[in-house]
Amino acid sequence: MSDVALDALERRGIGLSVCAVSHAYRGLKALEGIDIEIPPGEVTVVVGPSGCGKSTLLGILGGLVAQEAGEVVLHGDPGADCLNPLTYVFQDFALLPWRSVAGNVSLVLEDHAMDKAARAARVAEVLALTGLTEFADAWPRQLSGGMRQRVGIARALAVRPAVLLMDEPLSALDAQTRDLLLDEFAALIARTGVTTVYVTHNLPEAVRLGHSIVVLGRRPGRVREIIRIDMPLAERRPDDTALMAIEQRLWALLRDDAAEAARELA
Amino acid sequence: MHITRRGVLATSLAAASAPLIGRPARATGMKLRLGLLHTLSPAPFYMAQARGYFEKHGTPVEFVFFDAAQPIAAAAVAGDIDVGVTALTGGFFSLAGRGTLKVIGGGLHEQKGFQLTALVVSKAAFAAGLTNAGKLGGHSFGITQYGSSFHYMLGRIADQGGFDLHSVTLRPLQQIGNMVAAVKTGQVDATMIIASVAKPMADAGEVHIIGWVGDLVPYQITALFAPSRTIDSRMSDLKGFCDAYRQGVADYRRAFLEPKRIAADTDAAIADIRKFIFASDPDGPQKIREGIGWYDDGAALDVADVRAQLAWFAQQGMVKGDIDPEAIIDTRFLPTR
Amino acid sequence: MLQDRRVPFRASGYNPQTYGAISLLTLIATIALWQLAASQGWISTQFASSPEAILQSLRNLYASGELWEHLSASLQRLAIGWVIGTITGIIFGLLLGLFSIARSSGMALVSALFPIPKIALVPLFIIWFGIGEGSKIVTLVFGVFFPTVINTVAGVDAVPRGLIRMGQSFGLRPLSIVAKIVLPGALPSIFAGFRITTATAIVLLVAAEMIGAEHGIGAFVLQAGNLYATDDLLAGIVVLSLLGLCVSFVVGQLERVLLRWR
Ligand SMILES: Nc1ncnc2c1ncn2[C@@H]1O[C@H](COP(=O)(O)OP(=O)(O)OP(=O)(O)O)[C@@H](O)[C@H]1O
Ligand SMILES: [Mg+2]
Repeated sequence: MSDVALDALERRGIGLSVCAVSHAYRGLKALEGIDIEIPPGEVTVVVGPSGCGKSTLLGILGGLVAQEAGEVVLHGDPGADCLNPLTYVFQDFALLPWRSVAGNVSLVLEDHAMDKAARAARVAEVLALTGLTEFADAWPRQLSGGMRQRVGIARALAVRPAVLLMDEPLSALDAQTRDLLLDEFAALIARTGVTTVYVTHNLPEAVRLGHSIVVLGRRPGRVREIIRIDMPLAERRPDDTALMAIEQRLWALLRDDAAEAARELA
Repeated sequence: MHITRRGVLATSLAAASAPLIGRPARATGMKLRLGLLHTLSPAPFYMAQARGYFEKHGTPVEFVFFDAAQPIAAAAVAGDIDVGVTALTGGFFSLAGRGTLKVIGGGLHEQKGFQLTALVVSKAAFAAGLTNAGKLGGHSFGITQYGSSFHYMLGRIADQGGFDLHSVTLRPLQQIGNMVAAVKTGQVDATMIIASVAKPMADAGEVHIIGWVGDLVPYQITALFAPSRTIDSRMSDLKGFCDAYRQGVADYRRAFLEPKRIAADTDAAIADIRKFIFASDPDGPQKIREGIGWYDDGAALDVADVRAQLAWFAQQGMVKGDIDPEAIIDTRFLPTR
Repeated sequence: MLQDRRVPFRASGYNPQTYGAISLLTLIATIALWQLAASQGWISTQFASSPEAILQSLRNLYASGELWEHLSASLQRLAIGWVIGTITGIIFGLLLGLFSIARSSGMALVSALFPIPKIALVPLFIIWFGIGEGSKIVTLVFGVFFPTVINTVAGVDAVPRGLIRMGQSFGLRPLSIVAKIVLPGALPSIFAGFRITTATAIVLLVAAEMIGAEHGIGAFVLQAGNLYATDDLLAGIVVLSLLGLCVSFVVGQLERVLLRWR
């Protein structure tokens, strides 16, 4: 990943407190009594069996789902240049097919007071950061899945987010692309120190990125355990035994729920 | 409108067998289908039918009623009728010019002193000074269709009144009802409406009558015609038909047009006509009396007028090509004026 | 009993292509055959003109300036009627596509009014909008409006909700979401509607020009019909058909440019 202008994305020190959040869809309880502290500048990974309410939780964090009970509080000052404090990276990329790569990034800047040159410069900067400079004029359909998600990241970074909310951002990609992009995420997050909430099913991903890993139980989703990993992201290796042990523990926690989830109707 | 497929078949069979047995010398006794408008204008035909003249001359007639002039000519070409009486429109001449139709006798005339068709103007146009026919130039005028008798009459009024027909904005409105509505609401400045409708409107102050076509431009408005097919294959039927028609016209003239007519004749004629029109209308006799128009003695054809009409349509570009008037007129059946 | 044999290809057919040359050739061959039949006397030209006669009629119309007089009157009506119908249709379609109350009431109205034959309403339009351009343009607007609404609503429904949520999650203004996400997303469906509405407009043109029109291709065709001027009638039909081809070509080109992202 490019080194340009990384200093623009300096540590912002925004944290989130999730207090007693519950949610139900038409009587179906999805989340119950969730209390999580999301510390500034850290990656909080959320894992759990299918349907336990991970996406719902992320939606509540970003203000896209109105929770039934409890509240989410934002601490700290996002900074004057932050255009969208809570910013998503989507599993399906959510790119506009009728806009070029640059156009998709520019979209999220166009509603803000910013002159044309400044906007173009910002777009160029985040495209460089995500290695997309030469694809600026390409249509999304011309890009591979991995490149599309880079556009998703570039778009998120363009608004100078205080918190990145990522819902299985790599799950639509093939295994190799996923590994490559995962390393890039780790590097990017380490350097920018942006507070991140990362939802995944993939346990190697969880231990690769998470400072703390929130394990949700089956419906209604409750916090079963929060595991901390204090090793700096830059030092984590796939064959690290400590990390592998944590992965084993996570799997042990999830196995029964996952098996049950797999037996039920989607 | 009454069209039978079997009738078409019978006619085409007759046509097909004609060359084999030669032109039939005597009446075939087969019914002749007459296409006509269901209005008062073909009254002599009603009288001839009611009085059995067609049977008497060996040619029983079946009436096939239409609600517009143009389709009568088309139906004759298509073989759905054997003879017709209608206004000579641009469409008629265009069909006749292809050798399919021939004018064989006279019909109703717009004649001085007969108030058949009123030239009416809207209140607004009248107030703005459109008070006589000569001032129609530059105004809008409602007609049914291009090439209709309304179009023709307006053209003749223009020639006579000395204004340019092209300066009139023609509004083709397809139906008479639309013309009435359009002039009443002032959407057109002027149009032509039959007396029975125009007079009450004028009395109610809805429109103004600024003249009568019969006074302005007298002419032969309808004529009797037959498709060449009928002339070729049913000559004597057609002759019998025309003789019966003449007798009907004679009765009609005696009942309505003779200066020294006998009231009993008129009443009998009205009773016969009412077998076909205004049958259940209590004002029927009155309407018939007021709507009577001119028929020439002997149902004579005004050949010069037919020529004049054809010439006008050709000059307007509505009838294409050089049509020889002689080729579309057959004077063997009825006298000429 | 097993034998060695080559695996046969089984997936042929069911994949029709359009070869431009064949399409063109078919048209030309049809016209040539028609002309041949006419000049050989196989068909009577009394009431069915030959292509040559139609061409001659077109030439005369062109030379006399009448063609342009009629065509410009019709094109003006088509353009005004279609544009008004399309713009109002898209606006209504967006409202119906985006707001529950508008959808509930609007869809009921649209479903009730869409199937009525516009031609039957022409006399009413004349009373309401006058005999001049008003009633003609309203006839076209009416014919164009409903299919546009229906296609726009379908297009809005087809916009992935995820894209709209993306826009909301980045704090885009509602108007930006409509203009930059909903409208472009609905555009393919709206364009599919254009193909229908341009053809509908040409069909309705004849009905609209039936009453009170001095000029216009539709009026000309009717007039030729009234006068049994077969050559002119068919020449008018040819003009209408060419007009349809041109319009569909323009729509196709516009689609290629505006929807090139597909
Ligand atoms: N819009 C909705 N309406 C009704 N029920 C919903 C809705 N969204 C989610 N649910 C239900 O709520 C529960 C939690 O859904 P959610 O998508 O948050 O789970 P998840 O943990 O993200 O699952 P996955 O791992 O499959 O993505 C599920 O049972 C789901 O079926
Ligand atoms: Mg999910």
